[in-house]
Amino acid sequence: MTNPDVTGPAAASQSDEQVAQSLYAKAEKIYPRQVHGLFARLRVLGVLGLLGIYYLLPWLHWNGQQALLLDLPARKFHIFFVTLWPQDFFYLAVLLIIAGLMLFFVTALAGRVWCGYACPQTVWTEAFLWIERKVEGDRMRQQKLDALPMNARKFRIKATKHFLWIVFSGWTGFTFVGYFSPIVELGHNLLTFNLGPWETFWVIFYGFATYGNAGFMREQVCKYMCPYARFQSAMFDKDTLVVSYIPARGEPRGSRKRSVDPVSKGLGDCIDCTMCVQVCPTGIDIRDGLQYECIACSACIDACDDVMGKMGYETGLIKYTTEHAMKGGVTKIIRPRIVIYAVFLLAIIAAFAWSFSQRVSLGLDVIRDRNTLYRETGDGLIENVYILKVLNMDNAEHQYDLRVSGIPGLSLHKDIAVIHVDSGGILELPVRLRADEADLEARSNDVVFELVAKDNDALAVSEDARFLGPQ
Amino acid sequence: MAEIKVPKQQKCIAILWPSFLVAIVASGLFFSAFDPDDLYPFGEQAEISRLGIYSIGFLLFWLVSAVSGIGTLYFAMTNCMRRRPDSRDQ
Repeated sequence: MTNPDVTGPAAASQSDEQVAQSLYAKAEKIYPRQVHGLFARLRVLGVLGLLGIYYLLPWLHWNGQQALLLDLPARKFHIFFVTLWPQDFFYLAVLLIIAGLMLFFVTALAGRVWCGYACPQTVWTEAFLWIERKVEGDRMRQQKLDALPMNARKFRIKATKHFLWIVFSGWTGFTFVGYFSPIVELGHNLLTFNLGPWETFWVIFYGFATYGNAGFMREQVCKYMCPYARFQSAMFDKDTLVVSYIPARGEPRGSRKRSVDPVSKGLGDCIDCTMCVQVCPTGIDIRDGLQYECIACSACIDACDDVMGKMGYETGLIKYTTEHAMKGGVTKIIRPRIVIYAVFLLAIIAAFAWSFSQRVSLGLDVIRDRNTLYRETGDGLIENVYILKVLNMDNAEHQYDLRVSGIPGLSLHKDIAVIHVDSGGILELPVRLRADEADLEARSNDVVFELVAKDNDALAVSEDARFLGPQ
Repeated sequence: MAEIKVPKQQKCIAILWPSFLVAIVASGLFFSAFDPDDLYPFGEQAEISRLGIYSIGFLLFWLVSAVSGIGTLYFAMTNCMRRRPDSRDQ
């Protein structure tokens, strides 16, 4: 790594080169040491909760169908009691904007808590690390094993680990596809070897991505691939919660016996045991200050508190703090940045909720017959032909009344007596409109189709169309 | 400023990863607007399931944006060399 003692312009360009090389150098494998403590327990809780939700949610049923099914083959998203259609794309886009703003808000307030506890990359890496530890043993054993030349024992251990990883990845891939295609059917097809080619492709693709990202790439995903890691610092200010070492208390660092009074030796509280470095999943030294690699997982806090406890020192040499607090000031939670994010967030959530409550689960498209502009009937009336597409987006079947207005004496003719559409169904309905030529004011006249459910006045839509005549 | 040698693996990630993200967004937008069953590529309806069309669409979007990424990387790198004639002496 860079040598802090070298100074001068020549050294600066040399260190530039070294930084560039270390950025692109073949990454050395990091063996994060297992850590115990408050934040480790919180993370395990988070990991178990999120993995549980991920693997179990697609099996949950609601009113006889999969509760969360983004049914791509059928072009319908079932999210508990609502069914969204491609026409509802707007809502999904707004939901994504809300999620993005929420991330901004949380980042400004509490730093990278997303990275340390909830990011899928962290969650699956933790699961893979757990499997690795169960099979290969702790950090020391893993390092020893990797240093050995390949032999039967090493091969057996490595093969077991990769087998378990692959099974776990395969299950992850299967579950992923289960969110987009009914999972019960998918499981049945898998067990009877009838999985379609594309389902197979996506199970393997996602499984492979999990295996690669959580098994091998790990912290490099955060360092090189994650866009959030690059721009999150833009949301940071002096009152954002960060994981930090307190140099004023720790320096000068140095080893000492438990019995020695550090003050008499001119030492700070840091005993330079490097535990904080050993537990770091991204392999950095938190004592070098805030770094973009830090995912705020707080493993170093747990490790350091443990050591401080053993030394009989006060804990919190590495802790969650803010830049203001470190400089002896008071952390301001309510500040313009937070207020602005919060106001935006609340406004969009309110607008979304209002708009969603106004959503009508009924769609009507009117398509004019393209072959003839109009025709004259035997009794001298002008007739236009349309095809109506009625889309019932509600979770119940309905019968509808169809009305048309816009021209005096306009009459509506259709071949079926009752407009009945099943839940989720589409009805193509040819209709004919007839009007007296004397009532037409122009060549092209505006008419309005109105469709209302017989059992619910709120289920109503209207659609404009044109009625053409000879004038 | 020393010349930075970027390993092949890094170049591959720099091309494949952003184009992957773009392909997700692009196919999401495209297939929200168009139902594969209503599409007639080259005048014929493809006899492939919707999931198949989505997948092929996604892979095509990925390919197209990856090609664009290769172009960006190529122009960026050749431009770097042109701006520093001294690096040719080394």
